[in-house]
Amino acid sequence: MPLPVTLSLVDVTVSYGDRVAVDRLSLEVRRGEIVGLLGPNGSGKSSVLAVAAGVLDPTTGTVTMNGRERSADPAAFAACVGLVPQEAAIYDELTAVENLWFFGELYGLSGSDLRRRVMRALARVKLLDRAEHRVNTFSGGLKQRLNLAAALLHDPPVLLLDEPTASLDPASRDAFFVDLTRFRDDGHTILITTHHLDEAECGCDRVGVLDQGKLVACGSPTELLRPHAAERAVLYGHLRTRPPKYLERAIRRRLGSRAELEVTGRRLRLSANTSEELGEALAMLLAEGVELDAYRTPAGALERALLENNEEPLPQSLP
Amino acid sequence: MTSRLQLTLALARKDWRLFWADRRSAVLCFIVPVLLASAFGMIFHRPAHITTGSKLPILVVVEDDDPFTRQAAADLLNSSRFDAREVTRSEAEAAVSERRPAVAIVLPAGFSRLKNWRPGVPNERPRLELLHHPTTTAERQLAEGVITEVVMKRIVSESVGNFMKGREDAPAPPFAIVPASVSPHPQAQFNSYSHSFCGMTLQYLLFWGMESGLLLLRERQRGVWIRIRASAAPLSCVIAGKALATGFVALLQVLVTFCVGNVLFDVKIDGSVIGFALLAVAACGLASATGLLVAAIGGTEARARSISIVVILGVSMLGGLWVPGFLLPAWVQEVSLALPTTWAMRGLESVTWQRGGFFDALPSFVAVAGFAVVLLAVAALKLRMTERSARQGHR
Repeated sequence: MPLPVTLSLVDVTVSYGDRVAVDRLSLEVRRGEIVGLLGPNGSGKSSVLAVAAGVLDPTTGTVTMNGRERSADPAAFAACVGLVPQEAAIYDELTAVENLWFFGELYGLSGSDLRRRVMRALARVKLLDRAEHRVNTFSGGLKQRLNLAAALLHDPPVLLLDEPTASLDPASRDAFFVDLTRFRDDGHTILITTHHLDEAECGCDRVGVLDQGKLVACGSPTELLRPHAAERAVLYGHLRTRPPKYLERAIRRRLGSRAELEVTGRRLRLSANTSEELGEALAMLLAEGVELDAYRTPAGALERALLENNEEPLPQSLP
Repeated sequence: MTSRLQLTLALARKDWRLFWADRRSAVLCFIVPVLLASAFGMIFHRPAHITTGSKLPILVVVEDDDPFTRQAAADLLNSSRFDAREVTRSEAEAAVSERRPAVAIVLPAGFSRLKNWRPGVPNERPRLELLHHPTTTAERQLAEGVITEVVMKRIVSESVGNFMKGREDAPAPPFAIVPASVSPHPQAQFNSYSHSFCGMTLQYLLFWGMESGLLLLRERQRGVWIRIRASAAPLSCVIAGKALATGFVALLQVLVTFCVGNVLFDVKIDGSVIGFALLAVAACGLASATGLLVAAIGGTEARARSISIVVILGVSMLGGLWVPGFLLPAWVQEVSLALPTTWAMRGLESVTWQRGGFFDALPSFVAVAGFAVVLLAVAALKLRMTERSARQGHR
């Protein structure tokens, strides 16, 4: 029997003026589940999180937390949510304890109960030894852990994390996801945004792929990583330097109808009907002197959605 | 269920901790107004024994060797109103152009013709030159008056010399001028330190308000603001907490500044203590309102800081916080009645060195408190609109 739905977004649209950031998105997150929202920058991930946290009103649609809308009881809604903004939302000038004490008071906690919760939250993120240290002496990883602790203080059933690992090194990222798994096992519902494929693949129970505000895919990482054989073979590359226009035109002429080349800035997309044709097109490209820093051939919908707009260098180096 | 008061206090405590987190900056908040008030007080301070005998520095150029002219020059040099010395014309021109001093009198060749002057007899009158720096008005007018008095005395002395010979008070005016200070409180003695401590304290309350507003502006641009908004804290509590913390620190500033003023410069509350307390609270409210207004309409931090500094310095100067308001032109004094600083300054001066009672301070208190409430309401309204707009994604 599936666990109950804790967070529900139904037909949510968010517009900033004429620009639609989230387009009729519907998503349910169950208790004890980590759901990742994956997408490139500007795909609407943070807007979805802001709507779920109640800091942004949707243009249309409804958001319910344990079946209740925010407008019915803002305080009760807020008590259900622990928000971890992307930027460490803590005061650098205060100590870890002073920060947590203040954020605890915001949720109506006080006295010995608050003291106990502050210590427990610090213990959960392994910061007890830095309790009395000023935050401006913390590393990025420690700040992010305190950021998480501030969201855990009032023991909310739902944790919303906006790209919490953006400023962390790989080791801190791994540790962070271990913590998240533990919180999931404790019964928290977790909605996390990321643009790291590996985080979505390894750290989440379900993944929703956002593209230009639309939820284009949603399922377990295994389902989404299944290759789509019927589709064209695609290669995404990152150019060392952008080739001159005349060379681009010459390459396109030589490729003819066998393959299609698109160059945007230093990003390259090469597609063909079959992987053999794609290989030939790539060989021709390299023979013409085009230099690639890295390239990647996506395996499924998850990678495809991410790579279409990703500005970051791709992880696989040329042999 | 947390009460709004508890939330407000929690937010105020956070600001209090943030204020003391940077100890040096916090201590400077108290030291700077004291230093400035001391400096201003020192500049305008006139000990009682010299306030009646301040002399106008002046140069005298004598271009006529007649004994009458020499005697007139001697009268000028010995005048109790002048601190005069004799120089050549070129020396006088060079000194006056640099305001060292700002005025010089030239007794020209032919000046001695005046000794034959009789009322009603048309004669060619010698031209007595008064060299002065372009920026001087009061000094020039004072010099004109004193010169007229001294020269006329000399002419009268020459005319009736024989008749008055041997009398000590010879050509003295046939009347005596008796200065009498008139004020609502006859015992009131102007203390330049009282004025400067009132003025600089008020000015720094406004600057502290500005700093507090900039802190809120910074906070709103950081992630903590999202966290605060995501919590159950209503905006009214956030505003009240900020106002409370700002006002409390401002009150501490008033206390520290006046205590130091009392110990070092004998700055006293000679009038109503309750009136002073009410005015201090109203001025602190004004500082809080200023801060919230800066946060509400400031836009970016750099823009808010630049505009606030100009506005605060402007209202300080026009409100008589630097120099007494009566030294300003009449139209400025009238216009400045529309400023809270003018009323605050009037009230504080009234209850300090002017020995005013509670009812003397009451109009100022009502005016300052009124300004604070209006500014606070405007700031709260603007912040609410901004928050609503942010919640709706600037739709």
